[in-house]
Amino acid sequence: MATDPDSESNLGPLSRWTNRIITDQDARDRLYRGLFYAITVFFLVTTLFPFYWLLVLALTPNSEILSGGWDLPFLRPQGFNPAAFQEVFQQIPFHLYVLNSFILATLTTIIVLIIASLAGYVFGRLEFPGRGLLMLGILMISYFPPAAFLLPLFDAFVGNPIVAPFINVELFTPPRLVNTPGAMVLPFSALFLPLSIFILTTFYAQIPDGLEDAARVEGTTRLGALFRVIIPLSAPGVATAAVLTFISVYNEYFFSSIMSLQNEPQEWSPLVGGILSYQTQYTTEFNLMAAAAVIGVLPVVILVIIAQEKIVSGLTAGALKE
Amino acid sequence: MANVTLEHVTKRYEDVVAVDDMNLDIRDGEFVCLVGPSGCGKSTTMETIAGLTKPTEGTITIGDRDVTKLPPKDRGVAMVFQNIALFPHMDVYDNISFGLRLRDYDKEEIDRRVERASDIVQLEGMLDRMPEEMSGGQRQRVAIARAIVREPDVFLMDEPLANLDAKLRVHMRTELQRLHKQLDTTIIYVTHDQAEAMTMSDRIAVINSGELQQIDPPLVCYNEPTNRFVAGFIGSPSMNMVDGELTPDGVKTDTFEIALAPESLSGVWDGDAVTLGIRPEDVYPTEVADELAHPTAPIEVSTDVLEPMGDEIFVYLKLDGAEADDTMEGERSSNSLLMSVDPDSDIAEDDRISVVLDASKIHLFDADSGDAIAHGVVDTAAPAADSAVAESEGGD
Repeated sequence: MATDPDSESNLGPLSRWTNRIITDQDARDRLYRGLFYAITVFFLVTTLFPFYWLLVLALTPNSEILSGGWDLPFLRPQGFNPAAFQEVFQQIPFHLYVLNSFILATLTTIIVLIIASLAGYVFGRLEFPGRGLLMLGILMISYFPPAAFLLPLFDAFVGNPIVAPFINVELFTPPRLVNTPGAMVLPFSALFLPLSIFILTTFYAQIPDGLEDAARVEGTTRLGALFRVIIPLSAPGVATAAVLTFISVYNEYFFSSIMSLQNEPQEWSPLVGGILSYQTQYTTEFNLMAAAAVIGVLPVVILVIIAQEKIVSGLTAGALKE
Repeated sequence: MANVTLEHVTKRYEDVVAVDDMNLDIRDGEFVCLVGPSGCGKSTTMETIAGLTKPTEGTITIGDRDVTKLPPKDRGVAMVFQNIALFPHMDVYDNISFGLRLRDYDKEEIDRRVERASDIVQLEGMLDRMPEEMSGGQRQRVAIARAIVREPDVFLMDEPLANLDAKLRVHMRTELQRLHKQLDTTIIYVTHDQAEAMTMSDRIAVINSGELQQIDPPLVCYNEPTNRFVAGFIGSPSMNMVDGELTPDGVKTDTFEIALAPESLSGVWDGDAVTLGIRPEDVYPTEVADELAHPTAPIEVSTDVLEPMGDEIFVYLKLDGAEADDTMEGERSSNSLLMSVDPDSDIAEDDRISVVLDASKIHLFDADSGDAIAHGVVDTAAPAADSAVAESEGGD
C-alpha cells in the first residue's frame, strides 16, 4: 500500500481518497453506508414513483391532465380533486370489478394450494419411478405461452362439442362456462400450478422423514401428517405460493377479458376490465383510471403487509440450511 | 401389552435384501434388543413392525391381530426415534398430547394422562416450553413421554440414545430400565451398541446382513454364541479368533495345539478347518494356571502393547511362528491374542511370556460356515457336559 508520506503528496485527490478508504476503517464504513443509502433510494424511487404518479394523476382534474401543464422537475398534482375517488364508483360499479378479481384470486389460490400441496408431497417426499420425468413434464407445461391455450379453451368454454382431431368423432359437449368464474379459475389454476408445485416440493422435501414417521405412528394418515405437521412447518413456503398465485390472478386481464364476453361485472369481468371501462370511444378519464388503480392495489398491499414476514423468509429459505 | 410375532418377514428393495426371512417371537412384557452392525436391517425390521415400511413377504402379529396390512396408526405401537422427532411447531404439552388429541380423548383425560407421563419422565413444569428451548436429554424425555402417554401395546425404540452424549446415555439407559419395570410393556429396542443391548434387555436378537443370527438372553449370547459373528459382535473387546484345524488329538493352529477328543464333537471330522475362539478374560498367564480347572498346555507368546484400563490391563500378545497376517478378524488380526489381566500384574511390553487358555471357555467354530461346533473343550477324559452345541433357533 502506498502509505509512504513522500509519495502521498504526489497523489491526486482521487488517489488520496482511495488510499484513505483502503487504510481507514471509519472512512470505509462511511463509504459503505453512503452506497447503501444511494442504492436503497434508487430502488425506493423506482418502485414508489409509479404509485406517486398514480396518486398525482388521480388528484389532478382530467382537463388539467390533458392540457399537460406539469411543473417539472417536481411533478405535483395540478389542482386537488379527491372527488375522483368517489366518482370512480359513481360512473361504474367499480367495487364489483374488485370483488370479481378478489373472488377469482381467492378461489384459484385455494385450488392451487390444495393440488400443489398434494403434488408437492408426492414429488418432494415419495420415491417412485418416473418422478423426474413427471417433474420435467410440469416444467415444460409451465413454459407454454398461456395464449397457446386460449383458442381451444375458448372453443370449449362457449359450449361447442369437443371433436377428436382427424377422425371427427364427437367426444362430448362441455358445459358453457364463459361469463362464469369457472371459465377463469380453471385456466388460472392450471397455469399457476407449476410454480406453486415447485415451491412446495422444495419445502416439503426439507421436512425430516422422522417427523412424518412420528406423526403417522402417533395416529395420522399420510394425508393427516401432511396437514398437521408438514404444511405448518412449511408455512413460509405455503404463504409464498399463496401470495404469488393471488397477485398473479388478481392482476390477470388477458384470459378474463376474453372469457367474460362483455366487459360487465355481472359477467365476471376483472379489476383491469373495470379500470379500462373509464375509457370510451371518445373520452379517456385518466384521473378516474388512476384513482381506480390506486383503489385496486389496496387489497394486495394489505395482503402483502400481513404475509410479508413469512414471504421474505420463504423466498430466502432455500438458501440456508438450518 | 401384547406379544409381537414376525413370521418369515422379508423386505426387499430393488436389488438389496434388507431383511431376510426374519422370524421373531417376542413375549408380552419382554424387553428385546435388536442389535447388529449398521446396515444390518435392524431398523428396517423395526419399521416393518411399526408399519412405516411394508414387508415384501411375511406376516406380523401384535397381540392376536394380524397387522401386516394395517397403517401405523392402527397398530397400537408407539415409537421413539433416533433423531427424537419432536414436532418443532408445538410446545411440550401439544407434542405429548398429539396422539391423544387425534383420537378425540376429552380434555380432562388428556390432561390427566399428560401429567402422569410427564411425572414418569420428570418433565414437570416444562409443558409450555418449545422443543428448541430444551436440551437433548429433555427432548428425549419428551419423546418418551409422547410414547407412553398413549399406553400402547408395544414400544418401539430406534436407537433413542444414539444422539446423546456418553454420560447422559448411561443415565437414560438406567431410566429406560426403570421405566420398563414400572410400565411392564413390551419394548423392542434397536441399537448398534452391544453394551446397551447387554445391559438392558431380557433377550438380544443379533442380526447380520438382514438375517437373525441368535435370539437369547444376554449371557447366553455371550457364553454360547451360535456362530462366529455373534461371538465377535457380543462382548467388548471382542473374542480372540485363531484359525486352525482338527487333528486326532485336538485342535492344531500354526503356533499351538489344544488337546481334546474330536469324537466328542458332533458333525466334524479329522482335518476339518476350524476357528478357535477365546475371550480375553479367559486367557491367563501360566503362573495362575493352577487356579484353573481345565488349563490348556502353555503357549509361548511375546507381549506387544499394554492398555491399562484401571480395573484391568489389556495385553496384546503376538503368537510365535504365525505369519504376519493383515486380514482383520473383527478388531484384531488372527495372529495375535488379547488377554485381560489384573491391574497389579507384573507384565511388561515386548517381553516373552507363556499363557494358558481356560479350556472350558474355548469356542470352536466351523471355519467355512462360521457355525459353532462346541463351547468349552474340556480335556478328553472329562464328560462333555458343557460342550453341547447350542442349536438355538435361527442358527444358520
